[in-house]
Amino acid sequence: MKRIVAVLAIVWAAANVVVAYLFVTNAFVAKTAAKEGLPAQAALLLGGLLIAVFAVIVAREGLALFRGTSRVS
Amino acid sequence: MGAVRWLIVLVGVALAGLGAVAIFGQATSGTQPWDPELSDNFIFVKSIPFVLGLGVAVGLARGRGAGAQRRRADGRVERFRIGTVVGHWIMTIGFLLALPTGMWQYLGGILDVRAPIDLFLFYRVHYVGGAVVLFGVASFLAYWSINADRSLLPPRGQWRAHLAGATAELPPRLSGPIARLFRLDLAARRPTPDRFTYYETGFSFPVWTIALALITVTGLIKAMRYVYPIPGGILYWASTFHVASMVLIVLKVLDHLRYTLPRWPMMVAIAKGWVNEGSIRSLLAAEPTAAPAADADVARAPAMSGSDR
Repeated sequence: MKRIVAVLAIVWAAANVVVAYLFVTNAFVAKTAAKEGLPAQAALLLGGLLIAVFAVIVAREGLALFRGTSRVS
Repeated sequence: MGAVRWLIVLVGVALAGLGAVAIFGQATSGTQPWDPELSDNFIFVKSIPFVLGLGVAVGLARGRGAGAQRRRADGRVERFRIGTVVGHWIMTIGFLLALPTGMWQYLGGILDVRAPIDLFLFYRVHYVGGAVVLFGVASFLAYWSINADRSLLPPRGQWRAHLAGATAELPPRLSGPIARLFRLDLAARRPTPDRFTYYETGFSFPVWTIALALITVTGLIKAMRYVYPIPGGILYWASTFHVASMVLIVLKVLDHLRYTLPRWPMMVAIAKGWVNEGSIRSLLAAEPTAAPAADADVARAPAMSGSDR
């Protein structure tokens, strides 16, 4: 069961990395600036970076769970 | 009391069923002029009172719950009642439906791209997910309104201590700056948690509450826009905060997984309700800067001795 949950967590993390990538890249697109404005660009950048950081952490925890090397238990 | 509970649920289910028949009867009568997207919106907005009512009926039917924590001879303890376990699964399903479809609507608008699937299908799944989340929220609020157990919240006057406990869980290079920013005393002695960790009480549950409240209120305003005249300014800010709360929930789900994946007994507990008591105790005992056992017995926080189940 641990391995199934670990794989699902890694898949979820990977999907979030894609979302983070789209957030960050579109923060610098001229079309976004024209349509949404500077605050939306900043929000996309900050949100994308935060999602990326958390997704990487979840992927690492998922990998540790899969290998049976989790830190806490 | 059991019969009354079931009567409440039956009335709720019957009303929701009648509402569903009437709403879908109207939508499929062939006399509605709306396109699929607008038609789905009307189905959704008309369903909301019934979904909320059903959620309240189910939440009330759960009754006061809690009581003394049950134990089994094989060493397992009931960390969550079956209602809480089912409620957690319901919210999970709601998020799994609503988050990706909501994200696609937002990013699709930003990127100006179209999926090979019709957009109204994304909205349809999003509305189903939103209805599931609304049911879960209504059920939980009704359950809490008749249940005095607040063990998932820090007791009055202990917010800073619980926040400090939650911060202490983080790596030192993060916890230090956060503690200085919010003037939290990470070195203060705290009792060993009895039921929920400081992360759960001081950070996780409050953030979930804020995010769900925000996405629920803004979602309701957005859903109502075609049946009730919402001023443009309010609609703009509702849409903005709906997206912001969506991103907050995306982050909170990741944070939730980050915390619980390495704490496997917590995963077992929320999936089954029952968990090996020794496993969960060792997790709680591993909380950072916990006071020695002798102090913990004296200083055990009231919030830690409740039983939100």
